[in-house]
Amino acid sequence: MSAEFIAWLYASALSTTIRDMLWVVPTVQSVHIIAIAAIFGSAVISDLRLAGVLAVDRPVREVIARYYPWMRNALIVLLATGLVMIVGEPDRVLVNSTFWLKMALVLGAFAVAWSIRRPLLKPAASASKGDAIDPGIKLLAWLSIALWCVVIFCGRWIAYSI
Amino acid sequence: MDIQSLLQTLQDTAIATLIRESDSGFPALESLHVIGIALVLGTIAVVDLRLLGIAAHRPGALRLIEELLPFTWVAFVTCVITGVLMFMANATTYAENPMFLGKMGLLALAGLNMAIFHLGAFRRIHEWDTTLPPPGQARIAGFGSLALWTGVIVLGRWIAFV
Repeated sequence: MSAEFIAWLYASALSTTIRDMLWVVPTVQSVHIIAIAAIFGSAVISDLRLAGVLAVDRPVREVIARYYPWMRNALIVLLATGLVMIVGEPDRVLVNSTFWLKMALVLGAFAVAWSIRRPLLKPAASASKGDAIDPGIKLLAWLSIALWCVVIFCGRWIAYSI
Repeated sequence: MDIQSLLQTLQDTAIATLIRESDSGFPALESLHVIGIALVLGTIAVVDLRLLGIAAHRPGALRLIEELLPFTWVAFVTCVITGVLMFMANATTYAENPMFLGKMGLLALAGLNMAIFHLGAFRRIHEWDTTLPPPGQARIAGFGSLALWTGVIVLGRWIAFV
């Protein structure tokens, strides 16, 4: 991320408008937090099902299918609101190593989340597959929850790593 | 002791001073607060949407409430503990912040809304456990809860901006 690009972005009409309209950043951050609740709540409920801790009387495929769309849609909102924050304050965000760490972890968290859900979102290969969950999947489910927590910590810490 | 000197005393305690003067104390509390927020809203939203007639991962409303509310409570307690510690660190300032005061007001209303539901429609839940749409009282409680908790989060974010 070059200094020239950041300066150009900062000077752009869009960036200036976001900064000048004082209500935009707090509002966008609020929406970002609400989307965090949607993704983290959905992730925790479905990951705890995968870990065999919650709703074990419900078929694992049903629980995953119920919450995955919320996770995907929340991620879209998170990326969109995140983009507004980046465009509004590129000088603060794009030079910040905590921000880049967070982006890497978001990719990682979603990769893990997607990898454990993808086989369960496809139609079952055989009806008798049952609900037995691979111990590796259980571990990944807990890892997934931990990764989202670290993402949240990084998100908050961006403001303190200027 | 009047309110001002009580707030000053809180602010002068060793723990409040430690939080205020450390580099990572406040950010760590904030991050835990966000994780708590995400789980409170995330889990309560699943229940509230069910009260509005939108299916969760199981058909019965009672079992859903019994299953998720413990998580909501643990998350809420986390928010209260981290919130009290953050408040103490700058008690005199927060007590004059209209966004903070508004947030506390909405929290009280959210609690009231929950109490009314638990003493009312919830007492008769066996009558409407699997029927859709749920009775009017349940839908009002669900909508009120979503609106109030969203308001709590928005005002909470605005504290830093006024």
